[in-house]
Amino acid sequence: MLSLKKRGALSMQISNFARGFFDSSSPLVPVALPSQRETHIWYIVPDEVQNTSLLNQYLKLLSSCERESMFRMSGDKLQKSSLLARTLVRTTLSRYTNCQITPRSFKFRKNTFGKPEIEWGHYEEWSPPALHFNVSHTSSLIACGVTVDKLVGVDVEEKQRKIKNDILSFARRYFSLHEVEHLHAILDPEIQRQEFIKLWTLKEAYVKALGRGFSAAPFKTFTIRFRATRSDGLQVPTDLISEASEILVEAFDDPKSLSNNWQFGLLELANSHYAAICMEKENILEGKGNDFMKLKVWKTLPFVEDEYVSGTNAVKIICGLSQCLHL
Amino acid sequence: MAAITGTSISLPAPSRLLQQNQASGMRSVSLSIHRKSFPSLGLQATPLRFCVSCAAKTETVEKVCEIVKKQLALPADSSVTGDSTFTDLGADSLDTVEIVMGLEEEFGITVEEENAQSITTVNDAAELIDKLVEKRGA
Repeated sequence: MLSLKKRGALSMQISNFARGFFDSSSPLVPVALPSQRETHIWYIVPDEVQNTSLLNQYLKLLSSCERESMFRMSGDKLQKSSLLARTLVRTTLSRYTNCQITPRSFKFRKNTFGKPEIEWGHYEEWSPPALHFNVSHTSSLIACGVTVDKLVGVDVEEKQRKIKNDILSFARRYFSLHEVEHLHAILDPEIQRQEFIKLWTLKEAYVKALGRGFSAAPFKTFTIRFRATRSDGLQVPTDLISEASEILVEAFDDPKSLSNNWQFGLLELANSHYAAICMEKENILEGKGNDFMKLKVWKTLPFVEDEYVSGTNAVKIICGLSQCLHL
Repeated sequence: MAAITGTSISLPAPSRLLQQNQASGMRSVSLSIHRKSFPSLGLQATPLRFCVSCAAKTETVEKVCEIVKKQLALPADSSVTGDSTFTDLGADSLDTVEIVMGLEEEFGITVEEENAQSITTVNDAAELIDKLVEKRGA
């Protein structure tokens, strides 16, 4: 059974790491690259990281630029969050190079529009994988999504996040008409708030996947739509995310773009957050065979413990994803 | 070089000190100079506002700071100044949009999305607000 296999490997890891807890040479566990149509998510929970020795070990992984940015943040909590986000990115990416590229040695640059990407060096006899990544923070969870060859955007938000403004006023100001109608139809304010957050994360994930900055795709210029598959196999629009089998985006300046280039997944993470993933997809000729995006999720405390959480309570698919239950 | 106190790592942060100095030194602030009437020697040719650049009004900056603190649930005595960047205060994109919306309501203006994107500091927001309020003919 998976759990036995997992526990066996994990307890070996933990006993190794318990010894090497303060030893900066405790290895990161390498991971196989995501396949086509697969996204990997790694996440860290800041409140669970308290050990100062470990935090100082992480600090050594950052570039001087990242350290400067970190110290500009106001207060310990924000600084720690910044530290953990950079640690998460560096350690996660290192795993996909079979740890040949150490976390410390990764270099990053911004694309023309400001989206961070990896700047690979030149390597003899090794071709770096075409890794794409995207990070999302909240004060209580930081997540990093990784794909190969496909643009990806990830956004996480706390399920309990309170919106200071009136939700419908906010939606009328920033969301598309269709999305406003979707929210307007929900009478229960608590459910409305939850649906708002889900919509927000989906829209954010799309903009982040595009990587061209918020101004290239203002929220009002595209709409998220949901489709359900009826019992006869026909796909129909639906207003209920809970019934939806597919999430699509329609950009108003390019109506033919309906779901052609982008696929979405929505899930609950760690029982505390909504997470949205937007990934580039190949054009499928006839739109048949609605293959969901595959998903693998790990919770990590780099150099200490990694836990594969797909198939557990920590990952609840809402729409558009299929979980890989076996590593 | 870490000084470890309790659960937080503290390290010298020279860049932060620098920024604070900049706040008091280099950024111009518009002063409203209210004088009691001088002895009538006709020397009062002074302008009422001293502006090196078109900086935001102090009252606007203060109001923006207040709205930012509220949105980010920062304690009332936390340091938020004109030079504070939203991201350094911990604002994510949803916070920033909520802040802009709060500012629109407070000042009776509409901020175009392209302009909203160029707002990174409290001063940026305050300057934009002043411009929009003036255009509106407050």
